[in-house]
Amino acid sequence: MTLANAVVTAEQITAIAQDVWSSFLQLDLLPVENVPIEGSSVTGCVHVSGEWGGSIFLQCPAGHAQVAAEAMFAADPGSLAAEEISDALGELTNMIGGNIKSLLPAPSTLSIPSVATGDTYTVRVPGAVVIEHVALACGAGDLHISIWKV
Amino acid sequence: MKILIVDDSKAMRMIVTRTLRQAGFGDHEFLEAENGAEGLALVDTAAPDLVLSDWNMPEVNGIEFLQALRAKGNQVRFGFVTSESTDTMRSLASESGALFLIAKPFTADTFADALGGVLAA
Repeated sequence: MTLANAVVTAEQITAIAQDVWSSFLQLDLLPVENVPIEGSSVTGCVHVSGEWGGSIFLQCPAGHAQVAAEAMFAADPGSLAAEEISDALGELTNMIGGNIKSLLPAPSTLSIPSVATGDTYTVRVPGAVVIEHVALACGAGDLHISIWKV
Repeated sequence: MKILIVDDSKAMRMIVTRTLRQAGFGDHEFLEAENGAEGLALVDTAAPDLVLSDWNMPEVNGIEFLQALRAKGNQVRFGFVTSESTDTMRSLASESGALFLIAKPFTADTFADALGGVLAA
């Protein structure tokens, strides 16, 4: 669903995510119903500041993050440390955020990615509202991408 | 030849190395740095023949890294591998002395096309 004040469409976000997941993880993402991710999850975030201000979030179940990291590191199942899984999700967030930023009004700058992991946590960006949300899934689990505008 | 890979993500440094091998550049020696500051130090001590650098990094970012190299007269061959690829960034990269800008995600073919002429020169 594309909201009226969106500057990037759900179709564009989906295409970027599908390109990243297929290129680097060899996983095919498809749109799914937007159901909240429950249990342990990983959230990556980058902030954009400048002509356009806001944040881009990725959230996936911890198991999906682990599979993604193992693909990026070419590692055996269960062999990676939490820090390496965070590194991988941060880079995936950076790639998707960077590609989305290229579609936003310029000039602007992109932050270094932040990553949170856990069972229960709340993410807040003061003054920001969600202007786009995309729910995707592959064999490793769901992936939610949201764009927040300040 | 020595190729210096500069990226704050360990996962991305591994992917770049793997992709270089897939693109036929596996015979070269690969060095790694986590940001532009480490990259500057390694260029001085290891004298790589080519630098492949991310743009968005902590401490010293990619464009600052390139501009610092050129400011002190170092003309090492330099290319960006980055998730952002606007026309403005491509222009700034070129004006600052970069030979190419590869956008993430990339393929082995992308690397072969961008680096083939550079490494043959």
